[in-house]
Formats: sequence, C-alpha cells, structure tokens
Amino acid sequence: MSTLLTHIAISDGKIKRSSLEVLSRMHQLANEYGHDTEAVIIDEQPSQYVDEVAKYGASTIYTIENPIFKNHRNTPLLKALSAVMDEANPYIFGFGSTEGTKDILGALAANQDAAVLSDVSEFDLIDDGISATRPVMAAKILSENEAHGDQILVSVRSGSYDLNESQTDAETVNIDFSIDEDKIQSTLREIIGADSDKIDLSEAETIVAAGRGAKDEEGQDLINELASTLNAGIGASRALTEAGVMDPSLQIGQTGKVVSPQLYIAVGISGAIQHVAGMANSKVIVAINKDPDAPIFDIADYGIVGDLYKVLPPFIEELKTIKS
Amino acid sequence: MKLYVCIKQVPDVDAPIQIKNGTLIQDTDRMVLNAYDASAVEEALVLTEEHEGEVEVVMVGPEGSKETIRKALAMGADKATHIQTDGDVDYNSATYAKILATFFEDKEYDIIACGKQSQDTDAGLAGSMMAEHLNLPYATNAVGLSIEDSNLIVKRQGDAGQEIIELPSSCLVTCSNDMNEPRIPSLKGIMKSKKKPMETVELSDLDIAEEDIKPNTKVTGHMEKPEREPGQKFEGDPEELAQKVANLLDEEANVI
Repeated sequence: MSTLLTHIAISDGKIKRSSLEVLSRMHQLANEYGHDTEAVIIDEQPSQYVDEVAKYGASTIYTIENPIFKNHRNTPLLKALSAVMDEANPYIFGFGSTEGTKDILGALAANQDAAVLSDVSEFDLIDDGISATRPVMAAKILSENEAHGDQILVSVRSGSYDLNESQTDAETVNIDFSIDEDKIQSTLREIIGADSDKIDLSEAETIVAAGRGAKDEEGQDLINELASTLNAGIGASRALTEAGVMDPSLQIGQTGKVVSPQLYIAVGISGAIQHVAGMANSKVIVAINKDPDAPIFDIADYGIVGDLYKVLPPFIEELKTIKS
Repeated sequence: MKLYVCIKQVPDVDAPIQIKNGTLIQDTDRMVLNAYDASAVEEALVLTEEHEGEVEVVMVGPEGSKETIRKALAMGADKATHIQTDGDVDYNSATYAKILATFFEDKEYDIIACGKQSQDTDAGLAGSMMAEHLNLPYATNAVGLSIEDSNLIVKRQGDAGQEIIELPSSCLVTCSNDMNEPRIPSLKGIMKSKKKPMETVELSDLDIAEEDIKPNTKVTGHMEKPEREPGQKFEGDPEELAQKVANLLDEEANVI
C-alpha cells in the first residue's frame, strides 16, 4: 500500500477548488488500487481548512503552520513541501495546476529527484508509475505520457475532475516547520490587484469574456452588467489586455489563464487558436459576434450572429427575468 | 551585467499538425524560436540597453537548430553557445534542466532568463528545475522586469494578483510573453549575426553521459483532440435571438 498525497492550495483565504478536484480523483484511485489518500495544507492557519478537506476522503491530513505562508513565496513553500515528502513518503503527489503550483513544481521535482508531469487533463495509475494525457501544441492536440519512479509529481488542470465527497475521520498530523526569513534571498515587496471580491477565473463557474468588439466604455458597461447578472468572472482576449482596456491578469488563452467553467460567454471575440487554447474545455460556450464566419462559432454550443450592443441589453434583461 | 538567455527551438504551433499512428509529424521547415524565449531575449536586450552588459544565448538542441540561435543573435544578443545533442533522443524538462545547470556550474552571471514554458510541450518545469539545481533564487511567469541597485525586480502573475519580487544577483527568471513584443531582426542585425561568436559544445565536453540524463517520463503517443461539434447558430432579430438563447441556456443547457 502506498500513499497518494494531495496538496491543498489556499489563496485569499479560500481552498482552491482545483485542489479538491485532485483530491477527489486521488481518493478514487486509492480506493481502486488499494492505496492511502492523504492531503497536506500549508498555510498561516491551516487548521481552519481541515474539516472541509476531510469531506473529500483524506485519511491523514498534514498541516504546516507558519505566518510566512500568508502569501505565496517559492522558497518557504518548497522547503515545506520537501518536509511533507520526507514525512509522508508519497508515491504520487498531486497538485491543482495553479499559478502557485507552476512556480514550484519543477523545483520540487529536482529537489526530490522525482518524476513529474505538469498540467495534465487526465491521469491514471499503471505499473510502476502513472499515465497521463496532456494538451500540447497550444492545446491543439493531446499527448499521452508515462512517468516512472518511486515518487511522481503530477499537476492537474482545473476542471478535469468533478468534486466527489467522501467524509472521513481524518487524523491530523502537524509537521514542525521553521524557516529563517533572513536567509530567504528573494523578497516579496507587494501584491498588486489582489481584490478579494474579484472572481478567480481559473475556478469560476461562469465567465463572461470580452474581445476587441467590446472595447469602448459602452461595451465594457454591458460586459460588467452581464457578469454581475450571472455572478460571473470577467475575462478578456489578448487584444483587449494589450490595448490596455482590461488588466493583463484577466487574459484567457495560451499565454494567459486556462479556464474550464460550466458556462463561457464570448462577447466580440473572434476565436483565435491562442484564445481557444485557454477556454475550449468550457462545458457550454456561447458566442456573440457580428461576423458570421468568426471561428468562435465553430466551437460554440450557442452562437448569436449580431451586434453585441443590440444583443446584450435584451439578453441581460431575459437572464434577469429567468434568475428572478 | 551578464545575462544568459536559455532558448529552445520548437515547431511552429500555427503550422498544420499531422498525427500518423500516434506520432506527431513535425514540419522541419517550420521550426521557430519558442515565443516565450523570444520574450526573454527581448527583455534581456532591453535591460542591457538600459544598464549595459552582455547577453549570451544558450540552446540545447540538435545540429539543425543553429538557425534559431542565429535568430536570437540577429535580434541583438552578443554571443551564443550551442549545446549540441542527438536529435533522435526525446528529452524531457528534467533533462534540459540538468544539461543547462551543468553548463552554468562554472559560469559567472547576474541573471539567467528563459521562457516560462515551451510552446510545444507547455510543461513549464525546466526553469525552476534549473534554479533548484543551481541553488539560485528565482521567479517564474514574469510579466515585467527592471533593475534597481543591481537587484532584479520581477513583476509576476500569481494566483492572488501580480506579485512584485526582488531577487539578488545571481538569480533566474522565467518570462511570460505578455510583457513585450519581441523585436523583428533588421537586415543589418541578420548580417551582423553571421559574424557573432557561436560556440558549439558537446554533452561529453560537459562531462554528461547519456545515462545521467535518461528521462523518467516519456511521451507514448499523440492523438487528435476530440473536436467540439459546432452547436446552433442563430441569425436574425437581436432581441428575439437574445431571448431565445437565454431560455436555451436555462432549459436545455441547464447552466443558468
């Protein structure tokens, strides 16, 4: 029997949904192959998240508590993750593919001499390792991969697995951890744009994304109203972030965020492959564009050919009626 | 200031892709400089234009990848090292990171920069692996770089917003391609690049044996992504269409 360990990422005081998706998958695999499901929470106050994590099948929950984990910093996080691997000796160590994970996964693999597959969309256990599917070449094709070794790290794209509750009587194990802050060479000066009201795109259930067609003030107002009606996150195409209309952190696509919401509404977005690479895994896609030949219509479940300034106002009104 | 930029040659992701019997057929005439690495080269050139210094590009790749190195030299890099490998071996991120870290072991530098990932595999691992091997402070996914008092100030995109990180020299940074538009080499730049020094190094020169870099992951095949079927497309009166689609989202797709 081996240990399947999942890292529970916390951001802005909330558990990242993608971590619980990975934990759900790990628990399913552990049951199928006869392994243990364990999880680790590294935070300034990890105990507040233990009950929530215990709902998803972990039999042991490791916690590492230190004020330094208030914000993401790669050096202390790496040290803590190494400490957890020493303690838990996981066969597979799973992560949600968050920006924080992307910052440390390679370094952790090098530190622990572990095999690693990043940003997978599916994974399974095989003899002496894992098999996994990864979208590659701007997510245009899928590659099949295997990783072998005594310890394997895997990060999983958000939305790849459903949450699956399985309440346990989890044992909590606190791992002692200390770090001399003076010895950390990099300094986190500040965090810009951390807006706790803003919906995290990589975790959002609904996203309204604006493209070049919605770049003026009137277009932006309509986007904001539509998003507010649906309690949706707001995203943007590269054209809008480059024009300075929207913040670069909102860009969806190969160079921006990869999202997988239940509903994705693309407004005034033509559907360049770089954009599609970031949103093609959305469950339902709605496209609103005045160009009937825009490539976005090839992947949209519902397409409206029309001027967004004429379509959005009645669309918002109808949605409000439905919601009420 | 000495900056090294690690670059990679990748297939053009915009070129048509063919898969035959699970194998990806790459059009060797359409190999390009990885776009993220091109951003790292651009940023290194801007930093040395502002603060003086030298930019050297390093590439691990088979013999046929010299044209891509020339591209970086034509952009303005001062010199290059080509760590020449056997083109038939499938390296993974860990292999690249080990080769590059070995190369850098006896070098002196202020900054090592590279793309945050390569366009072909999108793995995004080699940068932080290299930093760990070299025990360097690092930051990934940079969307802005500047120098202050010989420290590198990195603006990076994190989960909770943009983080401003200060790194001392020597350090490593991986670059997003959101922060600049890499310059297109001028004719003069292309002509000059032919005279710039390019050193070729074999793995044996670095004391690396093939078994030291045997990949612990492998790609076993490729397949087409299941295509999304185009759904329903409506044209006509905007008001009617808006109401119709809103109701379909509620009643048919069940996502409202």
